[in-house]
Amino acid sequence: MNKPWLAQYPPTVPAEIDFGPLSSLNDVLRAGCTRFADRPAFNSMGTAMSFRQLDEASRAFAAWLQKVAGLKRGDRVALMMPNLLQYPVAMFGVLRAGMVVVNVNPLYTPRELEHQLNDSGAAAIVVLENFAHTLEQVLLTTRVRVVVTTQVGDLLPPLKRVLTNAVVKYAKKMVPRWRVEGAIGFNRALAAGRALSLDEPALDRADLAFLQYTGGTTGVAKGAMLTHGNMVANVLQVTAWMSPNLSDGVETVVIPLPLYHVFALTGCLSFFSKGAQAVLVANPRDLPAFIKTLREAPFSVIIGVNTLFRMLIEAPDARSVDWSHLKLAVAGGMAVQHVVAHRWKQMTGVPLVEGYGLTESAPVAIANPVTIDEWSGQIGVPLPSTDAAILDDDGRPVQLGEVGEIGLRGPQVMKGYWNRPDESAHVFTADGWLRTGDMGVMDDRGGIRITDRKKDMIVVSGFKVFPNEIEDVLTAHPGVLEAAAIGVHDDRSGEAVKVVVVRRDPALTEGDVLAHCRQHLTGYKVPRIVEFRSEPLPKTNIGKILRRELRDSGAAPAAAGHG
Amino acid sequence: MARPTAAYRPRRLRLRDGREVTLRAISPADAPEIAQAFERLSAESRYSRFMQHKRRLDPAALDRGVRPRPGRDFAFVATVPATDGIDIVGAAQYVRLEEGDPSTCEFAITVAEDWRGSGLARQLLASLVRRARRDDYTRMEGAVIAGNSPMLALARKLGFTAHPVPDDATVIRVERPL
Repeated sequence: MNKPWLAQYPPTVPAEIDFGPLSSLNDVLRAGCTRFADRPAFNSMGTAMSFRQLDEASRAFAAWLQKVAGLKRGDRVALMMPNLLQYPVAMFGVLRAGMVVVNVNPLYTPRELEHQLNDSGAAAIVVLENFAHTLEQVLLTTRVRVVVTTQVGDLLPPLKRVLTNAVVKYAKKMVPRWRVEGAIGFNRALAAGRALSLDEPALDRADLAFLQYTGGTTGVAKGAMLTHGNMVANVLQVTAWMSPNLSDGVETVVIPLPLYHVFALTGCLSFFSKGAQAVLVANPRDLPAFIKTLREAPFSVIIGVNTLFRMLIEAPDARSVDWSHLKLAVAGGMAVQHVVAHRWKQMTGVPLVEGYGLTESAPVAIANPVTIDEWSGQIGVPLPSTDAAILDDDGRPVQLGEVGEIGLRGPQVMKGYWNRPDESAHVFTADGWLRTGDMGVMDDRGGIRITDRKKDMIVVSGFKVFPNEIEDVLTAHPGVLEAAAIGVHDDRSGEAVKVVVVRRDPALTEGDVLAHCRQHLTGYKVPRIVEFRSEPLPKTNIGKILRRELRDSGAAPAAAGHG
Repeated sequence: MARPTAAYRPRRLRLRDGREVTLRAISPADAPEIAQAFERLSAESRYSRFMQHKRRLDPAALDRGVRPRPGRDFAFVATVPATDGIDIVGAAQYVRLEEGDPSTCEFAITVAEDWRGSGLARQLLASLVRRARRDDYTRMEGAVIAGNSPMLALARKLGFTAHPVPDDATVIRVERPL
């Protein structure tokens, strides 16, 4: 197959990756911990954890999962927490025990959590105490039988731990009351596990590592089956791609995106494999604390989404950050806006390097070379060992320069969706291309630009929202006769959710609609704009909704939002 | 002028997988069965048909659906025997696209989940095309979710051409002369 993009690769980037001796993420962990033992691997709230400490703690947790919790190889273990030191310990612990990680957004509502736990069949969950009250509400209707709870400061040094946990619980009152029978503390599990031996299973590339949930057009989240092979491939592809800018064992990378999201997850694993220290930011929306973290760490790499970079360039304090060590700023998850790219380069001297991928491709498949001087406006060219094509409706490549759906092939592309053979079959063409749902065009040098979206989907700050799910929640409200969700432009989040509602109950207010949504939808899915209509929603004569006409009216003044 | 609509004589169809269905014109008595069939449909099928989330069928729309206006609209149902009489496992309909324009009709097809891949959709659409000709329509069109590749492939096999919808890449319009 002709790969015109190879000519764009910097000299140190290979056309193909070589797995070498690595057949699982556990091999990646072992190699990193051997080579960089006493270097810091992760840093959270000013406390560093070395590769050696991570090795020991994750081994202990893995042994506890096997020997005390009684879980078996292949069992699914959910992780529900923000970016804390407990995350890499728990994640590697699950993988070392031969089990499968199910990442859960900690801000999920009970409805969303229940679906994900049941769909994945998770047998265990590690949850930050702050979110245990959500778990408590659904636990009995799931198959979860092992609950491990952790407090924010659990892996900090003793005095700091006690103080942090007390502040979070009593001063900031961030832990709603909860009660889960039989739950065990994370530190108790680690202590017990240290005395136990671990039976490290021999894993190969086909073994499942993550069930990574992503929304579906039908409104139900489904788990992309990412194997150890998918993940190792993407780690190798990403590190090969970054090789012109990065050195082993010296970098410090800031991770302000949640590790339960695949972009931060694989990014973090890639830097980890190069011996970098990852500075974990649990809540970048707390801008003063985020900027304080940036001031204290002489970081060389930062990853983010457009919304986050925009927040930084608009923050007056960001000018006081020392950007002089910065070598690489990676943007993914959503389209980068030109003004953001431009002002970021002005402020930091480093261009935003935009990449592209999907949960289904572990995720990175296409990226700009890290050696670019200016943001390109393209999503870039395919990574090593990756094929991309622009496809017509039949799944056949179009002529160069024509618009079509972007298709992907490569070792990072998932096997399919967990327990959904029909949807898995659907998402691949007969030739094995993963249909991305994004429309794009390729130039004669292999550079790809996104032009449109084929999937009915709204991207809010890098998170995918599917109208069907919002409509499902809205129409469950007795006061709603009919509802449609559409995406509207938003300077901050790129797109925002707007809903158009036809009332059944004339007394229904915007406040009622929003309160109902907040009860059943994570924050990023909650509508920004609510419009009420007294007429039925526009439809074709046979009854198919005309979303285009709803979007057109989205250009109307914002006052329409207060009906 | 459209001819007075001739009654449609029910037909037995043997499908690719060996199963048999009865294809006949819809009747007002089918309303409860249509409602039941809707309840059994997956969220995906409902979305494909209505292009929005549908929790329940609007009673007025259901009533219109089971009483096609002769010479303008038509609907087929595919039925199989069931303990309570029959089950509807597929439906296909067309309606006049615009009230003033008797030349073009819009179609829609729905097939129950476990009847996918049996060739039923093809039978339904082919029957619909023949019937629309008898109603003197000269063009048939439909809106298909852009990601619904099985439906797009079927439409193309039956002579429809696919066209992008301006300003909306999530939908594809298919059409054919009759």
